[in-house]
Amino acid sequence: MPDASILDIRDVTKRFGGVTAVNRCSLALTPGKIYGLIGPNGSGKTTLFNCVTGIEPRDEGEIRFKGERIDGLKPHQVARRGIGRTFQIIRVFPELTALENLLVVTREPFETARRKAQELLKFVTLERLQHEYAGNLSYGQQKLLEFIRVLMTDPELILLDEPAAGVNRTLLNELLAAIARLRDQGKTILIVEHDMKVVMGLCEAVFVLDYGEKIAEGPPGVIQTDERVIEAYFGR
Amino acid sequence: MSPMVGALSLLLVILAGLAVLPFFGSGYVVSFSIQVFMWMALAGSWNLISGFTGYVSFGHVAFFGVGAYTGALLITKAGWHWLLAGLAGSLPAAALALVIGYPCLRLKGPYFAIAMLGLNEVVRALVSYFEGFTGGGSGVSLPPILSIVPVYYAMGAVAMAVTLLTYRIITCQFGLRLLSIREDEMAAEVMGINTARLKLYAFLLSAVFPGIVGGFYAWYASHVEPLSVFPLLTTITMIIMCLFGGKGTVFGPVLGAGLLSVFQELVWARFLFVHQAIFGALIVGVVLLMPRGILGVLQERYRLPRTI
Repeated sequence: MPDASILDIRDVTKRFGGVTAVNRCSLALTPGKIYGLIGPNGSGKTTLFNCVTGIEPRDEGEIRFKGERIDGLKPHQVARRGIGRTFQIIRVFPELTALENLLVVTREPFETARRKAQELLKFVTLERLQHEYAGNLSYGQQKLLEFIRVLMTDPELILLDEPAAGVNRTLLNELLAAIARLRDQGKTILIVEHDMKVVMGLCEAVFVLDYGEKIAEGPPGVIQTDERVIEAYFGR
Repeated sequence: MSPMVGALSLLLVILAGLAVLPFFGSGYVVSFSIQVFMWMALAGSWNLISGFTGYVSFGHVAFFGVGAYTGALLITKAGWHWLLAGLAGSLPAAALALVIGYPCLRLKGPYFAIAMLGLNEVVRALVSYFEGFTGGGSGVSLPPILSIVPVYYAMGAVAMAVTLLTYRIITCQFGLRLLSIREDEMAAEVMGINTARLKLYAFLLSAVFPGIVGGFYAWYASHVEPLSVFPLLTTITMIIMCLFGGKGTVFGPVLGAGLLSVFQELVWARFLFVHQAIFGALIVGVVLLMPRGILGVLQERYRLPRTI
């Protein structure tokens, strides 16, 4: 049922010189669910994100969003179709204030955007720091800022690259609750995460990459006992 | 609200003072002020592309030079009024920015800077080559200028226009988006910002005013030649003035141009032979000790709004 998928990645390959970072990878996401994307370091998770968001054009294969081809589009075009993402390494705008970081990406009228930005800041308890330069915030705070920046544009599909890394436990629980709430609002979320507790607790299905290939997919409980997955992580 | 009112009153007093200056000031003061206005407009224009988006243009004088030649030729060959000829200098500057910006703004970091450096050399070489039209290396001589006071007002108006435009840009989303390109272009792009188009808009705006300033300069100087209107030093000076005052701010280039012009004039008068060395040392000091410039430092320390 290709049309039921919000994101449909088919046989996507991406090479860097002689290295095949993503190798004939296929995955399909059904709307309104949280998916996990896991795999050892260098298995191609971030590269796959980059292919979807247009940062690194795929070499082969097709990527469809809501049934339409998006491979070959520029990153800003992909974003405007309704795909948002965060980065593994924080990419807030350091010399813009926290509030400006949110306002800069909106396509709504200024007053609506401002209200929305302030709600989001309150939501991650950053409202007191709204006029602080983003670069002066702590690592965890920047991570949260980047997360709510994605929400400013109200994307239907959200790609999160290690959202939990460096966020303290209290905030993490709120972050996870927020992600679950987004799912309840009908958003689709794909998370790259190394923290297995996060993946197991949140995701309804998990894809496992190894050397750029998808080696397994299924519910987290099943994946955990999959022999190929155990082998990929711990060696034979 | 009172510091705001204070700042605004101060600004009005300065403007009023400048408006009546030609009636009281000596010819030297008026002529010096024209140069300061010119630098304010140039540094402010450079700020629009480089201060905001971080794309460092090392060939910005090319737009000035193209405007100067356009003005000079329209005045001498077509008999245009200098004011119109000067304003017309903006058109070829904008056209050049479009042709060069479209491909070159895809280059990142130092590559863009070097491409722009090359642009200026190419334009200068072309101007020298088409001798029949441009007078080659000896340039174009214009009729002698009878009064520099009209140029004072014209140049002042351009400096003001650049500053007002910068204020307008910084207070709307276009400005924030330009800053986001400087901060992290890829993140901006992934958040749905069409960075290629915005950079081109900023580049066009940053080329228009040097074109006009060049046109007025041709009339003011009564002579243009390749070496006088395409010098690399002019680009470097506008960069330094903008950085010294504070890149990405509204009044940074104004302050930088004002202070450094006065400084240069004082040093030049007293230490003719070492003035370049002193100026150079100042540049090194600014870049090392306060890369954000005067207003950038004040902004951060006293949490001033972006609109200073």
